[in-house]
Amino acid sequence: MAVPVKVAKVESRKLPVKRSPIPWKRIASNRYLYLMLLPTVLYFLIFEYKPMYGAIIAFKNFNPYLGITDSPWVGFKNFEKFFESYYFLRLLKNTFLMSFYSLIFIFPASLTFALLLNELRLKKLKSFLQTVSYLPHFISLIVICGMIIDFTKPGGIINSLLLGIGLISEPIQFLILPEWFRTIYVGSGMWQSLGWNSIIYLAALSGINPSLYEAAVVDGAGRWKQLMNITLPGILPTVLILLILNVGTLLNVGWDKIILLYNPGTYVTADVISTFVYRRGVMEENYSFSAAVGLFNSVINFTLLVLANRISRKTTESSLW
Amino acid sequence: MNVAKRKLVLLPVLLSLVTLVSACGGSNTKAGNTADPTAEVQKATAVPAKEGKTVGGLQLPIVSDKLDLSLWSPSGGNFRGTNFNEKLSFQQMEENTNIHIDFQHSTEASAEAFSLLMSSGKLPDIIYNDLWGTDSGKYGTQGALLPLEDLIEKNAPNFKKILDDNPDIRGQITSPEGHIFYLPNLVLDSQDLTQMFPQVRKDWIEKLGLSMPETTEDWYNMLKAFREQDANGNGKKDENPLVTVNLENIMMLFAPAFGVDYGFFVDNGQVKYGPNDPKFKDVVTYLHRLYDEQLLDPNYLVDTTFQTLTEKVTTDVAGAWFGWSGSYMGNFTTLMEGKHPTFKIAPANPPKGPNGDQRHVSFRWQAAAHGLAVSSRTEHPEEVMKWLDYQYSEEGILLNNFGVEGKSYDLVNGEPIYKKEVTHPTNGLTNTQELLNHTIGGGSWATVADTRYAEQIREANGQTENPLELYSDYIDFDSKLPPVQFTTEENDTVVPLMADIQTYVAETINAMIMGRQKIEDYDKVIAQLEKMGINDVLKEYQVAYERFKGK
Repeated sequence: MAVPVKVAKVESRKLPVKRSPIPWKRIASNRYLYLMLLPTVLYFLIFEYKPMYGAIIAFKNFNPYLGITDSPWVGFKNFEKFFESYYFLRLLKNTFLMSFYSLIFIFPASLTFALLLNELRLKKLKSFLQTVSYLPHFISLIVICGMIIDFTKPGGIINSLLLGIGLISEPIQFLILPEWFRTIYVGSGMWQSLGWNSIIYLAALSGINPSLYEAAVVDGAGRWKQLMNITLPGILPTVLILLILNVGTLLNVGWDKIILLYNPGTYVTADVISTFVYRRGVMEENYSFSAAVGLFNSVINFTLLVLANRISRKTTESSLW
Repeated sequence: MNVAKRKLVLLPVLLSLVTLVSACGGSNTKAGNTADPTAEVQKATAVPAKEGKTVGGLQLPIVSDKLDLSLWSPSGGNFRGTNFNEKLSFQQMEENTNIHIDFQHSTEASAEAFSLLMSSGKLPDIIYNDLWGTDSGKYGTQGALLPLEDLIEKNAPNFKKILDDNPDIRGQITSPEGHIFYLPNLVLDSQDLTQMFPQVRKDWIEKLGLSMPETTEDWYNMLKAFREQDANGNGKKDENPLVTVNLENIMMLFAPAFGVDYGFFVDNGQVKYGPNDPKFKDVVTYLHRLYDEQLLDPNYLVDTTFQTLTEKVTTDVAGAWFGWSGSYMGNFTTLMEGKHPTFKIAPANPPKGPNGDQRHVSFRWQAAAHGLAVSSRTEHPEEVMKWLDYQYSEEGILLNNFGVEGKSYDLVNGEPIYKKEVTHPTNGLTNTQELLNHTIGGGSWATVADTRYAEQIREANGQTENPLELYSDYIDFDSKLPPVQFTTEENDTVVPLMADIQTYVAETINAMIMGRQKIEDYDKVIAQLEKMGINDVLKEYQVAYERFKGK
């Protein structure tokens, strides 16, 4: 994403200032590069920018038979309804916590996993571990949730294990107890995405110049020193960019997994903005209302993204823009 | 009178005389109406199609040049099959009416698929939905559906006759603005209105020397005995006495015994909301006792699929449940045939509460909420209406309920009788499944559900009594909230308030049943519901109810 944005900026800065007829020549001489850029630009225009027009239904009372333009305006009524909802604060808190826990547990875990993999000498063991850890990423969510339900039920593997080693004396109804929901959500999320998330770090790791390690060895650095002084600084920009992007999606908690796992018993901790929107928007066909909630979500996310980027730019040298 | 005649013909097959008497007694009020669509069956089917005849005043074929109409409907599940044109009944219908239906199916019977279709604005000519009863007014006002009153008047002689003979039905399908936006599935015999009912393991009861439960206390003692006295006799305390796929079913079983419902109900003309009634505390206390002693499935919140329930029943650990006649009782009986020496399910009376309340609430109205609506985008409103009317003609009713003559049924003395290949299939399917290969099923379509369908399938399954008849005495039409519809403004008040209220109620009631919240504080629940605006909601419901009654 960062790359096309930068290119566009450079172009726009140069266009009006210098030699106005020339850019066409330059474009012509680089036409194959521009041709390759075209699909991406089209993708963003068609699938990311054009639909933004539809976001105005957040301020309307949308009726599919009148269409977007002809539906009547209602101002901020849909937003007010959301803020006035009895569960507004709880939804916000649950959404934030669910994301926050995922971030602080899964993010460092994937990084650590990548670093550990990187230290492995046995190539075969390494690729075996990689394959095993990627696999859950390719299992359909429905299946994953079926497995979670099976594993966590009173006669399931987790309860049998805990009973077996004497940690508990009675089986725990994990999926009915609200205090367990976040643990199950984040824990299974880690199992699902650990391997997959580590790929990008492994890629960054392979980009570090091997001569740096050779020099370090000559200087007498051990593995720990190499890790702290070469490996980590080498992938820091990648880590920071990923962190910024993750912060920018703090309020986006996937509804599908929660919908498949929650029940009235666990609403207290499991009901998040997106599940609420699902129940209100899709099930009750209140599209304007869900658009308003979605827009609210995006505004918060965007603000967080800008903030995280600014902090990162101030404190380190890496930033998205 | 005609009903009696029809039943007499069936006498050889009817093993129980009691059934016959009570059936006729129960349906006297509607007898005149019931007879009409089916009495002239013989004449209608005897005439070959395509010769320009009429059925109940409807000219056939409907068009002289073949016409294509599109129809959206979920497939699979209760409908069985991936394309309805594979069903012989629809092939025959095409031949008779000269209208080809281009079925557009969603792969699952999901509410999402339906709402996405409706919001896309690209609608087929005809749309199936199982919630038209409450939703058709909303879509009609939006402009998605065609108001049908005038079309019915001019083009639907069969359906019009049913409406004229049953004024109640007209009321049940008319929107607040006075329009009819859908044609419903109909049951004209009041004894067949029962839907789900309490079912218990009769063999366990006999084994433990108990009698069929009558009161809520009997129920408690029975479930307790199932659990404590090793009802399945495997030496393990693994009985799961009361199983369910959701809390609603359990509530339908027990809440009326305490004088309330889990949702909205009517008490002396006053619309009430169950959880908002102080009596609801007793329901929660009772269910908490069941849960606490593990008489109610401890996993009821997680095991919410019919598959997990079936597993519990067929592994001989479940003792009682609240379910349908066919898909539960009939299905389980078939599944356990030859696998268990004594397995027997019996229908139980609705439990009587401590104050003598006894009511059966799981029944449908004559006009169901499911049926077919016509989109406002159709270019052939008259032909569509005529095709829909055909579903309610004697010929259409037979096709939808019994399939094609000679293929899935034969006419014996003027009565349609399923062929043996259908009632006793040898291809590994249950008879209901086999029947659905031939036709759509009279209970799921915009047509009239024929009593003889359920009767014959039940008898083929070895059930001589009609379990549904048990409940007609306990059905109180006045205390069930009819399918009221709201105006757009009322909807704007009710929907957002109820969204929060339902979340709150589901959460709180379940927490109390599981003992995570104190039941002593039930006053606080009522106070909270008032704070959340239940009284405003009830006011709108009362208005809608009175408007409905005034029709």
